[in-house]
Amino acid sequence: MTDATASRIRPVVKKSVDWWRWAGRVFLTFLLLFTVLPMAWMILTSVKSQFAAMQYPPQWWPAEPTLNSYFKLLNPNERIGQDFLRYFWNSFYVSLLTTILGVVVAVPAAYAFSRFRFPGRNFMFFAVLVRNMFPAVVFLMPLFLLMRWMGLVNTHGSLILTYLTFGLPLSIWLLKGFYDNIPIQLEQAARIDGATRLQAFLLIVMPLSTPGIIATSIFSFIGAWNEYVYAYTFLSRDDQMTLPVGIQRFFTEFATDWPGLMAATFLMSVPVVVMFLVLQKYFVRALTEGAVKH
Amino acid sequence: MAEVVLQNVMKTYGNLYAVNDVSLTVNDGEFVALVGPSGCGKTTTLNLIAGLLPMSGGDISIGNRVVNDLDPKDRDIAMVFQNYALYPNKTVYRNLAFPLQMRKLPKEEINRKVQDAAKLLDITHLLERKPRELSGGQQQRVALGRALVRDPAVFLMDEPLSNLDAKLRVQMRSEIKRFHHNLNATVVYVTHDQLEAVTMADKMAVMSGGLLQQYDTPANVFANPVNTFVASFVGSPAMSLIPLEAAGNALRSPEGWELPLSQLNARKAANSSTNKIVLGARHSTLKLHKAAVPGAVPGKIYTVEPTGDVTFAQVFINGAVVNISLDPTARIEPDETVWIEFDQERMHLFDAETTMALKAI
Repeated sequence: MTDATASRIRPVVKKSVDWWRWAGRVFLTFLLLFTVLPMAWMILTSVKSQFAAMQYPPQWWPAEPTLNSYFKLLNPNERIGQDFLRYFWNSFYVSLLTTILGVVVAVPAAYAFSRFRFPGRNFMFFAVLVRNMFPAVVFLMPLFLLMRWMGLVNTHGSLILTYLTFGLPLSIWLLKGFYDNIPIQLEQAARIDGATRLQAFLLIVMPLSTPGIIATSIFSFIGAWNEYVYAYTFLSRDDQMTLPVGIQRFFTEFATDWPGLMAATFLMSVPVVVMFLVLQKYFVRALTEGAVKH
Repeated sequence: MAEVVLQNVMKTYGNLYAVNDVSLTVNDGEFVALVGPSGCGKTTTLNLIAGLLPMSGGDISIGNRVVNDLDPKDRDIAMVFQNYALYPNKTVYRNLAFPLQMRKLPKEEINRKVQDAAKLLDITHLLERKPRELSGGQQQRVALGRALVRDPAVFLMDEPLSNLDAKLRVQMRSEIKRFHHNLNATVVYVTHDQLEAVTMADKMAVMSGGLLQQYDTPANVFANPVNTFVASFVGSPAMSLIPLEAAGNALRSPEGWELPLSQLNARKAANSSTNKIVLGARHSTLKLHKAAVPGAVPGKIYTVEPTGDVTFAQVFINGAVVNISLDPTARIEPDETVWIEFDQERMHLFDAETTMALKAI
């Protein structure tokens, strides 16, 4: 491309780009407000007193900010604190187990789908994705009956099993893309260099797929952490509740304590936000990997 | 170092014969090129030697040891890949050390061998870098280094030069040749570029359609191609092939002219299974005349390509394109009618039906 053609094209391109850019900015600002305002309102309300939270017209900025709600929630000596911490632990435990088991299953499955040609491979890969074609609620009753038959109702096992079923298709699919992008020659080289098949996988392929594994882990963790409907249906004992159900329960039980509720929801979002911030680098890489040929 | 023997090696995928009954011996210290167009089975053959694919039949032995059922790691081989296959998350040092670590060598020995290999390939200053921080030529050297650091019985190379630019390719070509010479290594080298095979190899194995067509020294393959495929594959520009008919002591063209044959060539032509003959001739054996001379056949100039020290012309003879090299001072124009004289000593006759070279028995 010569300079002459470049300068001839530029004015035309510049005009249209500017217009779109401004439209984009307006749209993004709107989107930002849409997502940030509720969160800001959540945080602001959580540091108000019960009285300030109920005031009308609303007090936008708390006149006397207080961390009382947080102290209450995190105090293991109070009833409310005990419950909250228990729900928090339940959620954490269920999500973590879902994530770990998910990775343990998804990694070899995705690797096999990516590397090996076996009878029924295409059918099985399709079958894995079929689950995603239906809304999750469709499976609520069938799964409930199944869990009852297996005697898993009112256990965390029922949730872990359900979340695994829902999370695995995406994990396998995402990880398969990752393995597809790792040249098979790397494994071949490793095997010639003296590694067994397993060593080639563990020493060469695994480190290269860490970003993918982290991304899928985040996905399945968040999926399990936020899930409400199944947790609400499968569990009835108070001490087993996960956070989404628990929060909803105990704040309707007592009079509506808005600052308390907001503080609880804020605390609930902390692990996810922290996870995102720390692992963002891998996450973005995982989603864009393979977009451009190296 | 060791010899590599392939006996009736087969690799099938369903009804597809990727490698069909290939037998050849690579002697100790020999540089053998497997050459052929893409899909001819050369890379599959290499992968079978490496043990990266299971064989469908036959035997492979490396250094008098049948390796059919051995894992790649137990075959005492090293391989250089087309895309180098350097471990991207390891430094150059760790890449070179990996094969030694896998063999559980003591640390000091690993360090010594890595340093030696790095010095040999002039990459000592790159040891702490990651592969993506290297140029193509440097990556190539590291890949070579990783292969030679272990002192394997056989080196396998899968198109190691095809990712390099033209200039670097020529340079690395001579380096690999030098490397083979210095180490006296047994090398099996896969390439689709016949020029690489001809310039580097002690012997070349020309493959097509999973079959081994010819296995000989480059000079012999060049001088005596066994069939029309080998004839047209080896040499640049390719050998020209003209379909004609045998008519007594001459070859007859449907265009009306006849090319008289020497006694020897007439005997060869008589051995054809039908009277259809393919006449083959390399560009350098042909003579161009501007007027009719006895024994020359008429043709029409198609293109003229001056390259500096030699000018190539393409001539239509009997519907076939014939390459001919000319003195750069030659003045000819496209569409000009010319007469081409063949060298009876250096012309090739093939059976058009079987494509095989005709012999005077």
